[in-house]
Amino acid sequence: MAKKIGVYVCECGNNIADNVDIDRIIKTISPMRNIEVIEKYRLLCSEDGKEFLKQSIKDNELTHLVVAACSPKQHEQTFMNVCLAAGLNPYLFQMANIREQCAWVTPDKEEATDKAIRQITAAIARVAYQEALGKRDIDVSPDVLVIGGGIAGIRAAQVLASSDRKVYLVEKSSSLGGKVKSFDKLFTKMESGSALIDKELRKVEKDENVEVFTDSEVEQILGFFGNFEIKVVKEATGEEREFNVGAVVLATGFDLMDLKALPQYGYDKLQDVYTSIEFEEMNVPGGPTSGKILLKNGKPPGSVAIIHCVGREEKGYCSKVCCMYSLKFARMLQDRLPEAKVSQIYSDLCIPGKAYQKFYDETKGLGVEFIHGEKINITQNGKGITVKYESNSGQGIDLAVDMVILVPAMEPGNDTNRFAEMLGIPVDNEGFLAQEHQLLAPVASSVEGVFVVGCTQGPKNISESIVQSEAAAGKILSTLVPGRKLELEVKTSEISETFCTGCKTCISVCPYSAINFDNSRKIAVVNEALCHGCGVCAAACPSGAARVKNFAFTQIYQEVEALLK
Amino acid sequence: MENNKNSISVLVIGAGIAGIESSLLLANSGAKVYLVEKASYFGGNIIKCEEVFPNMECATCMIAPKQQELLQSESIELLTLSEVEDVQGSVGDFTVKVKKRARYVNLENCIGCNECFGPCPVEVDNEFEEKLSKRKAIYIPCPGALPNAPVIDTDNCLRFKGENCQLCQENCVFDAIDYTQQDESLELNVQAIVVATGFKTYDLTQAPQYGYGKLNNVYSMVEVERICASNGPTEGQIVLRNGKAPESVAIIHCVGREEKGYCSSVCCMASIKQAHFLKNKIPGLKITQLYSDLCVPGRVYQRFYEEVKESGVDFIRATVSEVKGQGTGVAIKYKTENGEENTLNVDMLILAPAIEPGVDSARLADILGIPQDEHGFFNEKEPDLDSVDTSREGVFIAGCAQSPKDVPDTVAEAEATVGKILSLSR
Repeated sequence: MAKKIGVYVCECGNNIADNVDIDRIIKTISPMRNIEVIEKYRLLCSEDGKEFLKQSIKDNELTHLVVAACSPKQHEQTFMNVCLAAGLNPYLFQMANIREQCAWVTPDKEEATDKAIRQITAAIARVAYQEALGKRDIDVSPDVLVIGGGIAGIRAAQVLASSDRKVYLVEKSSSLGGKVKSFDKLFTKMESGSALIDKELRKVEKDENVEVFTDSEVEQILGFFGNFEIKVVKEATGEEREFNVGAVVLATGFDLMDLKALPQYGYDKLQDVYTSIEFEEMNVPGGPTSGKILLKNGKPPGSVAIIHCVGREEKGYCSKVCCMYSLKFARMLQDRLPEAKVSQIYSDLCIPGKAYQKFYDETKGLGVEFIHGEKINITQNGKGITVKYESNSGQGIDLAVDMVILVPAMEPGNDTNRFAEMLGIPVDNEGFLAQEHQLLAPVASSVEGVFVVGCTQGPKNISESIVQSEAAAGKILSTLVPGRKLELEVKTSEISETFCTGCKTCISVCPYSAINFDNSRKIAVVNEALCHGCGVCAAACPSGAARVKNFAFTQIYQEVEALLK
Repeated sequence: MENNKNSISVLVIGAGIAGIESSLLLANSGAKVYLVEKASYFGGNIIKCEEVFPNMECATCMIAPKQQELLQSESIELLTLSEVEDVQGSVGDFTVKVKKRARYVNLENCIGCNECFGPCPVEVDNEFEEKLSKRKAIYIPCPGALPNAPVIDTDNCLRFKGENCQLCQENCVFDAIDYTQQDESLELNVQAIVVATGFKTYDLTQAPQYGYGKLNNVYSMVEVERICASNGPTEGQIVLRNGKAPESVAIIHCVGREEKGYCSSVCCMASIKQAHFLKNKIPGLKITQLYSDLCVPGRVYQRFYEEVKESGVDFIRATVSEVKGQGTGVAIKYKTENGEENTLNVDMLILAPAIEPGVDSARLADILGIPQDEHGFFNEKEPDLDSVDTSREGVFIAGCAQSPKDVPDTVAEAEATVGKILSLSR
């Protein structure tokens, strides 16, 4: 079929008309090949303009359209909609920006016009090689898999489950509740962690749309956003369950740094040096000391040092919540052992937000000592312990105490890597799961439909972890709507079966894990449901087999050649 | 609430990063969104920044795609120059009254060509630019502001003061300027409300010991953001009021913290960011940070601090006792932790003010029937557990309206409000 290209030049009131010689453009362009019609219009984005354009596309039976006007950022969508209304495939349309890139960048009308002609010629050269693309959509499952039954996972399940959406909540240990369950008190309200978990769990247990798996591991996650195939195995019995979900929420939590690597703190060598988790356990009524704060000799301590930031320097990050729970420990000690002297040795107090400083001020007011100290070394001294630290003035000072509580850095939970590999999510230098965008997409991962919440993606307090779970729920509820299909990216990449040599370069560079290797044919295959059309594969492919629809080499070469002619 | 999620409508108050994120997600779910913004532009505080920590991304470039998506969404009605005046009803059925002030510029006709500013004879301080530059009575706050259309400031416009000036209208070839536009009262029916009214910074004249407002070379951090901005009053040239580039800068953290009684969470990182930016612009610049505690929480912020420190920025833990003029510069008297007293002379002093709830918070708390805390931030329903809910069912809060926080936590809260709203309808 012969190509009939229509070119429409917008005057943009006087914005383009004053600085670009539109008549000269028309005179130059109109004799070019395949140009069926070229016209100027005062304001193409106006209602009249759009109507004129629609009618003209129809009347001239155009096969391709070029609009020379403002930035495509402003009105590309506007004119694509006009194409649709006129019955022209909107991907057979190209915009030439002769306002921001020509009229507005030079006072020299001749130069502006020359450049405008080049840009329009380039658009014409390119549009002739563009292909008609259609919107595609797929059926999706609205159901969700939540991995990790701590406070974050429980809240995610609560918000997501409904009569038309099932949630599978998988926990590897024997019960839900995560770390919070074992905390006797939580800052800042000093309420019981297990009572909180019980309250939260009641909402999930009542809900028939939540299916809980305990003692279970997720063994397999295949597929893509909207259509993941999941396999869960019950550890004890080996019983397998398979089901489909549309999205996955990873809430696998944290662990504490192993302190054996830091001998200067005396952990595991000195009797009464504890980690924060061990101190928490000591306070739980059903714990090893029946809820009493006791030294190994069975007596209550008369003095306690709480050492902040253990491992911070080695890790290279601040674990965010340790200052606050160290304050909480001081409160617990003051409450149970009012006679005990409590000293906090810290490097920086990190108590952000509207509520925490008050808690600090109150704790300080109870007589807790706060010492800014660095370079800590802990040794046995007779029956007691000596904490040596360097004070502000650089002086070495010894503090004698009965008990030391070390507050270690938080690390990603030990499952994090397994899931990162299973799903193809990058981990950062510290081993936490990376987000799609640190600022704008804080709970999305780079794999569409997989969300990372709570301490899986960095140290967080309870409040922030819960908010992240609700955020993941917001993202899922707004995209996986029951009964609605999912629209796919139109300009995806494709790999030519003929040219692909099976070198897998594209697979290694794809940021969305959207390319698989077909072992039977020994070629790479794009999963269009995952592809974002970023074009990295096309740039990397050594044999020219990968290309992005409507960013084919022919189209780009035609465009560049016309620009440089 | 009805079971059909496609039919819900939501009011979002405040079109900063939080309000934008909530609106886009809600629209994506099929909801109708009314996004009410009191300014003539949208984007909130973040569009005042040139770059944002920790990756030093261009802030306006980062959120421009979101702004474009919002402007093109058919489900979102962006109501600029608008304020909520009354809210009645309960979750699932709120009746909201919104007052929409006249822009006197027709958004349909205006293409944002800016031809109307030139002829306007009025010149006043530009508040958006922290009064570091002038604007006309018909103006946009800064280049790139969206929607790309000016507004007439009737307090200063000669015509609205009774004179017979119509120069802007005469210079508009699109017939976009309409002096007859009237304020409108809208009545909306919505099922839920998101309050995302953001923050303002502590009034530095309340802390006279730092010399702000009296000494020429003492700046607020917000002013410095605009000086760093390529679309700002100096087009990104780092210069003092006398037009000269500074050779030494001090940044004082935590200004107003003691008075307010809380840590504003983001100022350490913002101070470090400004040091990073200034150092890049003026490589030989000597920068000293005077801080009390460094609050660089989470997995990435400390690394950013270390990088900046290694680039030659000094960090001193100190209490500042006095700031005085010294020649053309500033003399800062401070005491270090071990009691040593010192004086630091610099060309430029930057103050990092505490973060306060947005100007409208008290009025809105009253209209919405939701409590504020002692500092004026909106109270969440239950601290730590229900951070985005309020005591009034169906009314949600996100971002700095609730407590000072950084961009990722703000965006997460905005997304969380959507999770809560969409789970209401069952």
